[in-house]
Amino acid sequence: MATLTHYIILSSILFGIGAIGFVSRRNALILFMSAELMLNSVNLMLVAFSYFRADIAGQVMVIFVFAVAAAEVAVGLAILITLFRHVREVDVTKFNILKW
Amino acid sequence: MDWYFWIFAVIAVLAGIFTVTTREALSSAMGLLTVFIAHAALYLHLHAPLVAIFQVSIYAGAILVLIVFVIMLLMAPEERAGVIQANVSFRSFGVLLGLCLVGLVAVGVKSIAVLIARRSLPDGFGSPSVLGDAFFRDYLLHFEVVSVLLLVALIAAIYLCKKRAWKH
Repeated sequence: MATLTHYIILSSILFGIGAIGFVSRRNALILFMSAELMLNSVNLMLVAFSYFRADIAGQVMVIFVFAVAAAEVAVGLAILITLFRHVREVDVTKFNILKW
Repeated sequence: MDWYFWIFAVIAVLAGIFTVTTREALSSAMGLLTVFIAHAALYLHLHAPLVAIFQVSIYAGAILVLIVFVIMLLMAPEERAGVIQANVSFRSFGVLLGLCLVGLVAVGVKSIAVLIARRSLPDGFGSPSVLGDAFFRDYLLHFEVVSVLLLVALIAAIYLCKKRAWKH
């Protein structure tokens, strides 16, 4: 039987993969997807804790995270499209107008 | 039921690695889709059927379609097919950071897992009626705040994408 430790290790590995992708890739869309990967791994940990503690609050929290993630993606992709109109590029190192 | 966890855990990790390493953004999105489905399967295993349904319909359905739509919109294949690659220092820093994170959690797990004793599940745990009860009794205010957040995000997205919104 898979224990809580299994789930914690799995979700921390997935979070690590997402973090690696987030800091090492330059394509803005892949950065988004890495952020989604991290959000998902945290959701998995919440559901696992909810199951092993028999507490429904973890699942409620996960559904709130879904709503916040949907809002984040909507606004984030809108910002990305607006940036693309100016820079004609999705490489995050090209978005350097505030950098000095 | 041990094999069930291992199959989907391995699928999730492999698809996650594929998501962050592949050159094409579209292949990356397909890897992410696989991760979402594997997560949904694990949620079913953890007595969270409603969360699994939301995972498939919201993440694999709505959010991923939005991401694929933007990939199609912004990245013409002949123009920038996977030309964006990070340099070596970026990558090694990222891998180092990720491994530190995983190591940190692995050290923390030892102390946490002892504290968390397994409890027996009540009847109907994770069923829509129990979850709905929790939502509309204990978390009603939070629910309303989230609905306002979604409305604000909707308005923000429309405003940002409007033509001439950010004209100099």
